[in-house]
Amino acid sequence: MRTFRLLLAGLFGASAFTGVTFTSGPAGASSSALATCRTTINAEEYAKGKLTVATDNPVYTPWFVNNKPSNGKGFESALAYAIAATLGISKSNVVWAYEPFDNSYTPGPKKFDFDINEISYTAQRAKAVTFSESYYNVTQSIVTLQGSVVAKKHSPAQLKTYLYGDQIGTTGLAYIYNHIHPTQQPRVYSTLDAAVLALQTGQINAIVVDTPDGQYMATSEVENAKKKADGLQVGQFPSTGEHYGLLFKKGNPLVGCINVALNTLKSNGTLASLTTKWLNIYTSVPVIKP
Amino acid sequence: MTDAPSNDVVLDLDHVVKRFGDHEVLSGVSLKLHRHEVVCLIGASGSGKSTLLRCANLLETIDGGDISLFGQSLLDEYIDPDLVRRHVGMVFQSFNLFPHLSVLDNILLGPVRALKRKAADVHDEALALLDRIGLRERANDFPDRLSGGQQQRVAIVRSLAMQPALLLLDEVTSALDPTLVGEVLDLLRDLAAQGTTMLVATHEMNFARDVARQVAYLDKGVLVEQGTPDQMFNHPQHESTRTFLERVR
Amino acid sequence: MSLGHDELSSPTPNLFTPPRRRFFTGRRGLAASTISSVLLVAALVSVFFWAPGSASVRYYFFNGHDMWQSFIGHPQTGLLSVGKGFFTNIWMCLVCEVLILILGLGVAWIRVSRSPVLYPFRVLATAYTDVFRGIPLLLVVFMVGFGLPSMQLGFLTTQSPDVYGCMALTITYTAYVAEVFRAGIYSVPNGQILAARSLGLTHATTMRRVTLPQGVRTVIPPLLNDFISLQKDTALVSVLGAIEAARAAQIYASTTFNGSGLVVASLLFLAITIPLTRFTDRLLDRDRSRRLAALA
Repeated sequence: MRTFRLLLAGLFGASAFTGVTFTSGPAGASSSALATCRTTINAEEYAKGKLTVATDNPVYTPWFVNNKPSNGKGFESALAYAIAATLGISKSNVVWAYEPFDNSYTPGPKKFDFDINEISYTAQRAKAVTFSESYYNVTQSIVTLQGSVVAKKHSPAQLKTYLYGDQIGTTGLAYIYNHIHPTQQPRVYSTLDAAVLALQTGQINAIVVDTPDGQYMATSEVENAKKKADGLQVGQFPSTGEHYGLLFKKGNPLVGCINVALNTLKSNGTLASLTTKWLNIYTSVPVIKP
Repeated sequence: MTDAPSNDVVLDLDHVVKRFGDHEVLSGVSLKLHRHEVVCLIGASGSGKSTLLRCANLLETIDGGDISLFGQSLLDEYIDPDLVRRHVGMVFQSFNLFPHLSVLDNILLGPVRALKRKAADVHDEALALLDRIGLRERANDFPDRLSGGQQQRVAIVRSLAMQPALLLLDEVTSALDPTLVGEVLDLLRDLAAQGTTMLVATHEMNFARDVARQVAYLDKGVLVEQGTPDQMFNHPQHESTRTFLERVR
Repeated sequence: MSLGHDELSSPTPNLFTPPRRRFFTGRRGLAASTISSVLLVAALVSVFFWAPGSASVRYYFFNGHDMWQSFIGHPQTGLLSVGKGFFTNIWMCLVCEVLILILGLGVAWIRVSRSPVLYPFRVLATAYTDVFRGIPLLLVVFMVGFGLPSMQLGFLTTQSPDVYGCMALTITYTAYVAEVFRAGIYSVPNGQILAARSLGLTHATTMRRVTLPQGVRTVIPPLLNDFISLQKDTALVSVLGAIEAARAAQIYASTTFNGSGLVVASLLFLAITIPLTRFTDRLLDRDRSRRLAALA
């Protein structure tokens, strides 16, 4: 009797073990990596016990809502909390820090774990900081005022003739120089708001900005004197392979676990559903050539 | 020695009253100045001598009484003060030469800019005036290069370039080193000898005795006594006149 | 005669320098100043070359290759020339300074006038100098550079940002310079005015021939200070989107992450301001020695 129970226990244990190993597979491998991360993550945090996430101020829809990153609304806010949850970090243990856009990708120590702020990966920036894998593939778009000549005339040759304005250090500005090659020197502003102001006051013809930002800008931000939305997103440019990544201090080992979490979200469909929820309307913007 | 003063009254101060705030600086001063006459004002500091002179060329407005120049009241509303001052020259205790202009330009400024005469015309007259005081070769120097006595004589000559009808002199030697006083007084004596009409506030009693036709003593804004030098210095009538003359003797 | 002093009880006072202070006189003093200068320079040089982290400071800010690249620029890739940008700073400074001096003198004249006809202008001038010495220049640049174009007033609203920057600088600096001129006018001794008026010169002629020539000469040092300050403030036009030296340097830095362009821009500014400050100091010294000589 005693031997029989021992044999049964052994058989049960063995089948349980094989069951676990067979059902592991790749998911199993990452879930074990994930499990590891959940335990090791605290040691790698900037502020132990908390996940410090940085972003700019102000921040805009659709990435954040009402300029409050902590409300979990908006694509990037939701994504940050989803990553935290995947790593076993509760919502109350996520703290938000402020980092202006142009500071984020400069070399040096950082006061956060990662920065989420529509920061595009570029080889130049990657020399100074570390990026996670892509969480969004982005295209540039062109925004102008309703009734502007840009709305009707945007062949490549015509696009060259316009006066552009953009924020310093952005991939939008780089796109203007590298792909549009305008004949007039573009205006370079310290902030995107200043560029929007210049557009509204008629000092520039158009702004080049990421497609989701451009959509929000055109429908809500750019206003005429009667407080009516006056902007127009003329079109988006073909993809140049640009994508957003989460930004880390150079060589921060934390990126490993964050990538694990990100991949988990990709494979279980969370990232796709967040993208659809917050950014769906932007896929319908017409494509124009630079 | 002096030309006989005519009966023309050049300057007529009639019961002039002047207040600065509550403080009455001149209390009903009456004085007449005839053509070719030299009148000396004497009195302690603060007695109102300078104020009286400044009222005479409208640098100050009066609060009571009347002032007439060439028989015309200066209180008339259509009187042009700038025009009045072109006929009345004033020389100050602290010379007040213009430091940014040469000696010659100092003299030319008035005739050229106020009288609108051509510089070329006035140029020779100015040099002649400088010649008269022996400073012709200093014409292009700036005032800071001159001694006090030289500066004051240039200041006098600057006023003379305007060919004024009368000259007001406000203690013009009081700021000078004693050794330089003499050259200025000599110039004034010459002017008096030529019949220049002058109203001179001064502490120099010997000068007053020699040159003045009339000497007037002011005490705290009141014209206490007036008379010929002989009357004033040898037979002063009033107590305060006597006290004052004792102190300055 | 005698005031009760006893020869023995009041010894001759000692008029000589204490021995310790005497140590640094003459040749020893020269040696001391040489040694202390050498030590200071050596300390600074060693910090610059041997302090930990100085290598990266030298790479990121004093890198010869990047300094040259930022100076000449490469417009096709969006790297604008710091050298060319500096021309914007220079022309703005020169044009604005001329306007500021002229308008500042005008505002000062109005403020010191006493004509009843000019009364409302006096009030306006006082309000103007109060307001624009109170608003930070950055705000004025913003309001002029973004506010005017939105008013849609024809040529006034279609200028380039450099022009708006110049307008903002002029509006603000005129307020300061007007006050400097006013102080200069008031500093002219009253006797000068009395003498001029006694000659029969009108108020306007007195102002023009006597007061202003003296008053303006007195305030040349503070005016030079304002000019030096203006040269640096031309960098603010960058907030309006114009490209000047500092902005071009920032663009270079944000693209290559090398700050050497910023050092280049700083050196260009210093190339103008340092000679000016030295010149101002010399003027002040000369003026001072003249005034002290006059007293002697």
